[in-house]
Amino acid sequence: MANGFSGPVAQIVDNYLERLKKGLKGISAKDQEDLVKEIHSHIYESFRSDPTPDEVTRVLKVLDKLGEPAAVISARMPDAMVTLGKKKKLPFLILAGLLIAFFGVPLGMSGIGLVAGIIIAILGLVLAFYVLAFSMILTGWLAAVILIIRLVVPGFLDPYMDIYPLVPDPTFNLVIYIIGALLISAIGFGLLWVGSRMMRGIRFVFRFLFDKIKNWRKKAPAAATA
Amino acid sequence: MYYIVFGYNMENKITQLRKGILELAILGALSRGRHYGYSLVKTISGSSDIDLTEGTIYPILSRLAKEGLVQSEWVESSQGPPRKYYTLTLKGEETFRILDGEFRKLAAIVDNAQRAALVEVESAYGNVLSVTKETNNG
Repeated sequence: MANGFSGPVAQIVDNYLERLKKGLKGISAKDQEDLVKEIHSHIYESFRSDPTPDEVTRVLKVLDKLGEPAAVISARMPDAMVTLGKKKKLPFLILAGLLIAFFGVPLGMSGIGLVAGIIIAILGLVLAFYVLAFSMILTGWLAAVILIIRLVVPGFLDPYMDIYPLVPDPTFNLVIYIIGALLISAIGFGLLWVGSRMMRGIRFVFRFLFDKIKNWRKKAPAAATA
Repeated sequence: MYYIVFGYNMENKITQLRKGILELAILGALSRGRHYGYSLVKTISGSSDIDLTEGTIYPILSRLAKEGLVQSEWVESSQGPPRKYYTLTLKGEETFRILDGEFRKLAAIVDNAQRAALVEVESAYGNVLSVTKETNNG
């Protein structure tokens, strides 16, 4: 690498930048290159303004002030993890579409089919989950309302329902059923809550995969020319 | 030195405190003009003897860029490699104004607490003095 330095100084700087690059595996190729260029510029400027006469001593001093590559990288690496727990800006479906595009093009039509299938399967599971949650809430509330009305108006909707007597006292029996109905809707709400957690997890997995694929796509042509 | 005395936990605390304030200092420096990484380090550390690990400003800058508070452009330098210059966005200026106000309030709180403690010590010392005076007189 032509880095504007010569002799052992150039080697030291090269070594530092190489170590920096190694630590940047997780981020996109463009960001990697950008940061390496920026740090190179920093080393150059710092080196230029330091009065130490011996160049090797000087460059070591410069790098010491700059800190280990880890200090330069920290907080930048776990891109996907940083966004975990935050609401994502990109809608889920667009992300899925991009995944198809990235996955699908290199793998051909069967790749598209595979990824589309997986995404549809996941979406189907998610949909089923939410339908279940909402229907539990709806059923619970509806049953509770009807049963409460029956408390006040005995025999309400009697031709349409048949309540099994758990206890001999009909009022107490109704109360038990009302509690049961509310419990069902509570479970529905619980499922919704669990669902929101799971969605976060799924988003994280997708985003993580997406980042990986994006980097791989960008790196591939560079490797071919090298 | 305090690392050795208080161990890792103290180092951690100092890092945490520095991170937030360093971010504010970066915004402050950029509010007065554009900078590239190295000039930013020089501006912030200035003549103070705080030993800033210079590399730590880069993760902060990239986070600020991601949050839309700063923008950057590569500018050819008359000598050496191009420099990446950073400027505040409008959002960044507004954020700096708010954070700066907040920081001053907080710094005043810390100051006040210290001054209050000092006054207490002084008044206690004053009482001792007046007591000795009285005994001397009597």
